[in-house]
Amino acid sequence: MTEPLTSPARPILSIEGLSKQFGDHTAVDDVSLDVRPGEVVAIIGPSGSGKSTLLRCINLLESPTTGRITVGGIPTEVDGKVSQRELVALRRKVGMVFQSFNLFPHLTVLRNISLPQERVLGRSRAEADARSMALLEQVGLASKASSHPPRCSGGQQQRVAIARALALDPSVMLFDEPTSALDPELGLEVLSVMRQLADEGMTMIVVTHEIHFASDVADRLIVMADGRIIEQGDPKTVIDDPQVERTRTFLSAIRDR
Amino acid sequence: MDHLGVVLGGVPTTLLVTATCFGVGAVLGLVLVTGRRSGSVVVRGLSRTIIDLLRGIPPIVFLFIVFFGIGSGAIRLSPFVAAVIGLGLISAAHLAEIYRGSLLAVHRGQFEAAQALGLGRVTTYTRVVGPQAVRVAIPGMVTWAISLLKDSALVSTIGVAEIMSVTNQDARSSGSSLTPFVIAAAIYIALGSPLAYLSRYLERKLSLKGAR
Repeated sequence: MTEPLTSPARPILSIEGLSKQFGDHTAVDDVSLDVRPGEVVAIIGPSGSGKSTLLRCINLLESPTTGRITVGGIPTEVDGKVSQRELVALRRKVGMVFQSFNLFPHLTVLRNISLPQERVLGRSRAEADARSMALLEQVGLASKASSHPPRCSGGQQQRVAIARALALDPSVMLFDEPTSALDPELGLEVLSVMRQLADEGMTMIVVTHEIHFASDVADRLIVMADGRIIEQGDPKTVIDDPQVERTRTFLSAIRDR
Repeated sequence: MDHLGVVLGGVPTTLLVTATCFGVGAVLGLVLVTGRRSGSVVVRGLSRTIIDLLRGIPPIVFLFIVFFGIGSGAIRLSPFVAAVIGLGLISAAHLAEIYRGSLLAVHRGQFEAAQALGLGRVTTYTRVVGPQAVRVAIPGMVTWAISLLKDSALVSTIGVAEIMSVTNQDARSSGSSLTPFVIAAAIYIALGSPLAYLSRYLERKLSLKGAR
């Protein structure tokens, strides 16, 4: 369903006609989506609905079959060949947090956050470290700066991963089921960092099964199935009164767990 | 007769051949594994073919091709240079496969995180994936060094004066065969055992450190 969510602000991220084929299988089917600056969009849907693939297409970890992605006013045609320069330019504006954290295990927590700043933004080591420490402070892990990731809990690792992505000053943050690999308690500490980020006005797209987080924090809830957006709108409205049968079955399946 | 003294005389050359071939192989192996993981189908296929050929030909046949076949034609190759080319290239192929296996052992998420952060290909390999892959590769590399030390005896056939070559001459001139060759065997074991120890030590140490 469509709803009056269009605001006068120009979208910071705009996806037009994005599709992704894996052989015969259409994982993402002609999805279009505008995200306003500061908006928090939660995407839910059954597994195989294409929500993770959509997210991975936005920063071109998967190369979309067709579509156009505009971040901060600069459009990139993503069908087939994207030049290395366009690729890097797009990824610079988009931060990503993975389900499995993907910290670099051989580097300390501090180096994990500083190395990309030095390599991608050309910051000096001192500048990068200062920024890293400020971010570690923000996610409550300053004391872990010199630890290696395998010595940190899953929740701590994910908070470091968030700090690492934030350190590159992205315009949009993508979260791919950031709490799915965590115990509920550890998941909560990650969600609280994300909540804090949302409050500070970060633009976020969150693929998640955390229905409470979606309803409390998100400005918009998108339901995907079979590679398409089947329903979207105010999270509480969608959750309490879904208009599409498929959404109803999915939501009741989540609630019954 | 001082068999031991004679046989020991071949040790420096054996070590030199082994170390040089390993060095050449370690560097060229990086080139081959880069080709093996290239985005271009042609480069990938070519690298794969080179690796398969070098691993498929018996080392002594390849050495003869290099020394007698190529090295005595238009270009003259000294026995040592031919040995380094021959065993160096074979090492490159084997080490490339060891590198490739160790890169496959690095979790896919590490590449994806590097990509998502916008790190370039070179940084991704040198700073992120490489250091993790090395831990996996080292035991295999040491094992290859031990094989190479033993296989270096083959270069006696093209006239490099290493352990096997001087032993053979000693046996012929002294008329006693058993003692010199047993001594040679003992020296190979003595040279190889520190490497074998190193391999086991590193395996233990790196597997502990690499634990997630």
